[in-house]
Amino acid sequence: MSPDQLTALLNAELGESLAGKVPGEQVTQLERLSGGANNETWRLMWGSTSLILRRRPFSADSIDQLEGNILGLSLVDEAAVIQLATSTSVPVPEIHAVFDATHPIGEAFLMGFIAGESIPQKWLVDDTYEVARSRLAFQCGEALGRIHSIDCSKLPPNIGPTTLEKRFAAAQKRLHAFGDISPVMQFGLNWLIDHAPSEASCVLLHGDFRTGNLLVDEQGLAGVLDWELTHQGPAAEDLGYLCANVWRFGQLHQPVGGFGEYDDLIAGYGSTAGWAPDLATIRYWEIFAALSWGLVCQTMGALWHSGNGDVERAAVARRRSEAELDILLLIEEWERA
Amino acid sequence: MSQDEAQTTASDVTTSELLGAVKGFLMDSALPALSGRDQFNARVAANVLGIIDREQQLGPELAALDAAAAQQWLPGDPGPGTAPQRLSRALAAREINADSHFFEYLKQRQLLVAAINNPRYASRKVAEEKWRSES
Repeated sequence: MSPDQLTALLNAELGESLAGKVPGEQVTQLERLSGGANNETWRLMWGSTSLILRRRPFSADSIDQLEGNILGLSLVDEAAVIQLATSTSVPVPEIHAVFDATHPIGEAFLMGFIAGESIPQKWLVDDTYEVARSRLAFQCGEALGRIHSIDCSKLPPNIGPTTLEKRFAAAQKRLHAFGDISPVMQFGLNWLIDHAPSEASCVLLHGDFRTGNLLVDEQGLAGVLDWELTHQGPAAEDLGYLCANVWRFGQLHQPVGGFGEYDDLIAGYGSTAGWAPDLATIRYWEIFAALSWGLVCQTMGALWHSGNGDVERAAVARRRSEAELDILLLIEEWERA
Repeated sequence: MSQDEAQTTASDVTTSELLGAVKGFLMDSALPALSGRDQFNARVAANVLGIIDREQQLGPELAALDAAAAQQWLPGDPGPGTAPQRLSRALAAREINADSHFFEYLKQRQLLVAAINNPRYASRKVAEEKWRSES
């Protein structure tokens, strides 16, 4: 959809949706932000207020037909979870409007703009964020502890509890559906099955809590974005995911997201949750996260083949090799420990 | 260098050079003239040409490594599919003893795959240092 078409559709809708909440009369300065191989992210002005539109650019039908889909929640459910998270002190954007897949705008939601830096290549290295980085691992632990305290009975029905056995079966089904093209990913899945920790109780996981989806200002954590992979699972999964190599953006010596240490993350988590997973379990989930990233890359390739997406999505399919490399490195490290 | 060679002007353009020429066009001409999503995609497209170039160079070595692995761990009738597919399916069926020799094959394979797809990925440097010396 062109920016002009989207502007016209938003103008027709937002006058009513935002009446009494956000002053303004029409959309100006609509621009698509870079990145986001799955959902589109647009920034716009309504009056003098900056807003963000998250929009799924393809029809739900094309996703349903794609076996092994792991694109996560509908944007409608994602918006519902973000609204639940506002009951905690985790910094999340305010949801202003939600559109389902039948709406001319497409499946989308409109949210407030949180000031902060999201681009990892900036805040992971820039001196401006030195103090922020020193606090961030603890703050991320605190935030995850709070997210995990959200009452799962209030979640949309699509976000149910699951088991490791079901997760393994789903991953195997996807590897088969995507053509069994990676012996390394199959080896990784076999290893994860053989080394699975004992089942832990399910909590609400953010599911994609990582560098790149966090907004950072000079004080540290300013916003937690991108809730589309929210699901229920063991708490250690979110902590391991944050530590996955692929989300350290080259800063491999800082295991927590490329900016912090395990001890600070675990201490922060304990401060709000009252307990914390052990390091070995967190590291197990780092390997699981590597496999998950490989599956996301394969999903992007499959989506591109089905006619959805541009050159970026085709290129992301090749980033599977990052996941494969990390699976082998991490398993070797585990076996030698 | 002989007199004849000194007077020769290169006229052939290899596949790799063609890819380099297109990449130069994308980065030097197209990218500055574009904005927003198109500019981002022009950069992605230039990177994709790099993948194609590296696959041209390293692909045969990878194919040979996979073929040798399939022969070692799946002797007999090759059956349908590529070597990586047959190995993957045999792993899924737990028909391969994934011992240290098999792990060694996976590591050497992955060094090539990573060199093709994303040579700048940070873990690759770590893997290169650890695994090249072992091979």
